[in-house]
Amino acid sequence: MKKLIALVLALTMILTLGAVGYADDNENKLVIWTNLTADSQTAVLQKQFDEVAKEMGVEIEMVTVAFDDMYTKLAAAMESGDTPDIMHTTEGGSAYLYTQGLISPMDDVIDAIGRDDFVESYLRSITVDDVAWGVPDWALHTSVWYRKDLFAEKGLEIPTNWQELEAAAEALNTDSDGDGNIDVYGFAVPMAAVQLAAQSYYEFLFTSGVYTFDPATGEYNFGNEKEKAAHVLDYMIDLYKKASPPSSTEWSWSENRNALVEGSVAMVLDMGAVIGLAQTNNPDMVENLGCFDLPGENGDKQASFGGGYYFVASSQASEEKIALAKEFITKLYTPEKAAERALSRPMFAYPSLYSAFELYKNDPAVAQFPDEIDSIFDAFEHNTWYRYGMEAGLSQMASQIEATTFFGEAIQGVALGMQTSEQAVDYIDSQLQVQLDVIGQ
Amino acid sequence: MSAKAMSLANGRARKRNRLAIVFVAPAVLFLAIFVMYPVFYNIYLSFTDANLLKKNTSFVWLKNYKRLFSDPMFWKYAYNTLIWTVFSVIGQLALGLAIALVINRKMRGGTLLRSFLLIPYVIPAVTLALVTKWVLNGDYGIVSLLLQKAGVIAHRQSLLALPKGAMAALIIVNIWRSYPFPMLIYWAALKSIDPELYEAGKMDGAGTMRLFWHITLPLLKNTTIVLLVLRIIWTATYFDLIRMVTGGGPAGSTMHLPIMIYQASFGTFQTGYASAISVVLGALLFFCIVFYVKKTGLDD
Repeated sequence: MKKLIALVLALTMILTLGAVGYADDNENKLVIWTNLTADSQTAVLQKQFDEVAKEMGVEIEMVTVAFDDMYTKLAAAMESGDTPDIMHTTEGGSAYLYTQGLISPMDDVIDAIGRDDFVESYLRSITVDDVAWGVPDWALHTSVWYRKDLFAEKGLEIPTNWQELEAAAEALNTDSDGDGNIDVYGFAVPMAAVQLAAQSYYEFLFTSGVYTFDPATGEYNFGNEKEKAAHVLDYMIDLYKKASPPSSTEWSWSENRNALVEGSVAMVLDMGAVIGLAQTNNPDMVENLGCFDLPGENGDKQASFGGGYYFVASSQASEEKIALAKEFITKLYTPEKAAERALSRPMFAYPSLYSAFELYKNDPAVAQFPDEIDSIFDAFEHNTWYRYGMEAGLSQMASQIEATTFFGEAIQGVALGMQTSEQAVDYIDSQLQVQLDVIGQ
Repeated sequence: MSAKAMSLANGRARKRNRLAIVFVAPAVLFLAIFVMYPVFYNIYLSFTDANLLKKNTSFVWLKNYKRLFSDPMFWKYAYNTLIWTVFSVIGQLALGLAIALVINRKMRGGTLLRSFLLIPYVIPAVTLALVTKWVLNGDYGIVSLLLQKAGVIAHRQSLLALPKGAMAALIIVNIWRSYPFPMLIYWAALKSIDPELYEAGKMDGAGTMRLFWHITLPLLKNTTIVLLVLRIIWTATYFDLIRMVTGGGPAGSTMHLPIMIYQASFGTFQTGYASAISVVLGALLFFCIVFYVKKTGLDD
């Protein structure tokens, strides 16, 4: 009896191990990972995936992988050979998969959808040596979101250079109750170590034409621009000291956006998510909000910080399955579907297709912001935008910056008076060079 | 004993040995797969340039260790780890002992109180982190508002945005979260102290403090050593709270070695370098384990 029990237990253990290692080889099933976790976005994705799956007669499994977990899970999936058939991710995720040789060229899909219908700058961000490694879904653009009512109250014009921006920010500092404390700050400079500090800083750096890589040659460039980078950091920290809440050194996106929506800050750098937040949490505030592009130091803006989401297809499956994945992605690109996906995060996500954009801007969710939408879409069409480390196209550097905190440490150090901008920039440069070595670029 | 009986006895002994091996094997297998293999593989990785972005790995001998010990940030984070661990552990033990002394007395509702006091230990780290961030938010956090009103911090400032404040806040939260374990252990130890010792002390004219210093504390010495070592190991490697509340900020002031390991592994994918850091942290903690084993007599 004992032997029998031992045998059954051993067999169970072996079967369990076998089940853990079981890979789904169903040729008619597509596993799709998305980094989007907001309910409004995943609901739309799931609905569209189900529709297309039904149309094609395939089985799908959508897996939401939070952005914070993405690299860990991708690395683990890569080790076990279980990478998804399709991934819906950022440039960082795309770059990671690209550098590992795990994704397929997507020019055939883009041509099938209609290359001319894509906004050119969206395609550039996913292209390496004239090959597109993903299909752009939507993109976001960093603007200064501000309180129109407070600007009008103080008689302020939209700033056209840094000096005017700082003057406006200081003018907007308001002590509402006369207790000697500022109740509404002029301009929030969020500097949480993860993402925020780097994203705030890069918006100012790009505005001044300071890039990690030279967009033309692809050579590492930050080290050659340290003086300018320190000057930019000095300005950003000066702005923080004069017009940003003291605790914004540890603000992440939620605190930054809430501050504008709740009315304790008059200007923030944001990608438009403040609108969705205001619609939910403080509808009265929506009509007071507007946006303008962060100006260049002397009015001559070079570029801005942006980013987007892309559909990439695995190169690890059989040819038939890769073709199936590509067909699936192609069918997701009707103007209606592309607009619907972008509208699941109104004013934050802007569709990659011109045909979808027409539907997008007429949708009731965003129709009250025609000027802002036109201004942002104009920036997508005619201005230059990059994600950090992506100035010369798809690069692993974006994820190295995204997943580390050395920018945050250095920038917070300056804000807290622990080091100078020059020291911070030297440290950032040294760390970027370590990352260059790691990614072998 | 006849040859037949001898053979029968030997057969039984062999069967017993085989059975013993069968019973021990799962535990040994478990230890080998889930403890020994990861530890030795980690040590091996620390001598390589293993990187999640590269398919090939080569042996680099001590390069990772040289890089680590010459990195000023390592020393800064090691110092942060020391501060975090020392103050957290002292606080946990002191609070745990103080509360254990209170709940050791007979009182009405004692069981309810003891259950209530265990709550911090069962609160998930993510909940604790969110609440901590909430109450310390510079704009609407209740603790921040109180500190602002008291003039301890500036208007709309948060402890989490100040280097020393962030570390202090994290240590206090960690003490609050972790004191129930020492409390329970101390309480059990206090129960085992013979009441006659206190009676004798009282007859000799000793007051409460003298009884505590000369009877209670000496008799809790071994318990304290065990707790000290266990809590040092658990606190030095405790990752969740710091990661979720400050992410190591501001300006790296709460960055400790476990976060450095995480950053090296999953931030920059340098698994070889991350392994070297974890070997160093592991070595430091290993001394604690040796100390613990010696003091508790487990080596006997």
